[in-house]
Amino acid sequence: MAVPMTISQQLVNWARVKSPWITLFNSGACNACDIEVIACLMPRFDVERFGILVKGSPRHADILIVTGHVTLKQASRLRRVWEQIPEPKYVIALGACGASAGAFHGLYHIVDRVENVLPVDVYVAGCPPRPDEIINAVVTCLNLLQEDLVHGGKDWRQKKAFEIHESEKIPGVVTP
Amino acid sequence: MNTKLTLDFVRETIKEWGTAEQVRSNRIKITTNPENIRIAITAAQDMLLCDRLVTMSSVDNGRTFELIYHLIGPHRMVVSVATELPRDKPEIQSMADYLLPAGIYERQIHDLLGIYFIGHPNLKKIILNEDWPADEHPLRKDWKQNPDTYYGGIKGERV
Repeated sequence: MAVPMTISQQLVNWARVKSPWITLFNSGACNACDIEVIACLMPRFDVERFGILVKGSPRHADILIVTGHVTLKQASRLRRVWEQIPEPKYVIALGACGASAGAFHGLYHIVDRVENVLPVDVYVAGCPPRPDEIINAVVTCLNLLQEDLVHGGKDWRQKKAFEIHESEKIPGVVTP
Repeated sequence: MNTKLTLDFVRETIKEWGTAEQVRSNRIKITTNPENIRIAITAAQDMLLCDRLVTMSSVDNGRTFELIYHLIGPHRMVVSVATELPRDKPEIQSMADYLLPAGIYERQIHDLLGIYFIGHPNLKKIILNEDWPADEHPLRKDWKQNPDTYYGGIKGERV
């Protein structure tokens, strides 16, 4: 179900795909993932030639990169940073910690994974992941962005619960 | 001053309050009762020349709480004064007035394991979040996160 777009919208979308700006948030990581992101910016990988810029403010960014298991104190801050990013926004959870807290799984002072606080679009495996894997994650986000633009939003890839047949439902009970 | 501390000398000194064993070449462990901990540490400081506190360690082994004071002196031997506290009434006399650095370790142990130090001048929260429930101690083996309570400003169940 493709949504028709105006010429100005098409222009904006073209610009969005050409130059994704990212912001980096450390939610209690050991800094290894952050150093790998910085390695992306250095001359060897030099992601700025692809138009990928790291911005200090989340209000200027399209993609949020979260590193680390989320500590209890950082959870509300991370949520606030995510809420300030304008739509369309995408979240990359970096490393083993972002996916499942890694070695810190089950500790008392963390919320275990980024997905407990905000919806994550791309996970990157590794401890820490290599810079080329991080670039690949950003490119995956751009592909997702293009598909979302065609479908008119992120709803088409939300996980749906099982649908229950009409004959199995209890009469009078409305399920969301 | 720099004479080596021997196990026999330690045994002779503390024989009234506890037992001593050599757990490593540079470490002697003294086991004592919670009632005698103050006398044992005073004796270690005065007679065994252990004038400094390295650290305090504690662990929940499922049956009791183990509490160890690690002391060191110019003879470079670590003397570990160990005691065990019952789980249902984990209380011990505080050493904060006598061994000043012990006070801050005792605050941490009070936060994480819930051991109450009698006579501590300032037994406040030091390591947990401000809104952490006062009766929950996360390093106890039977502790479980309550999904209906706020910890550090958020609550909820881990997915």
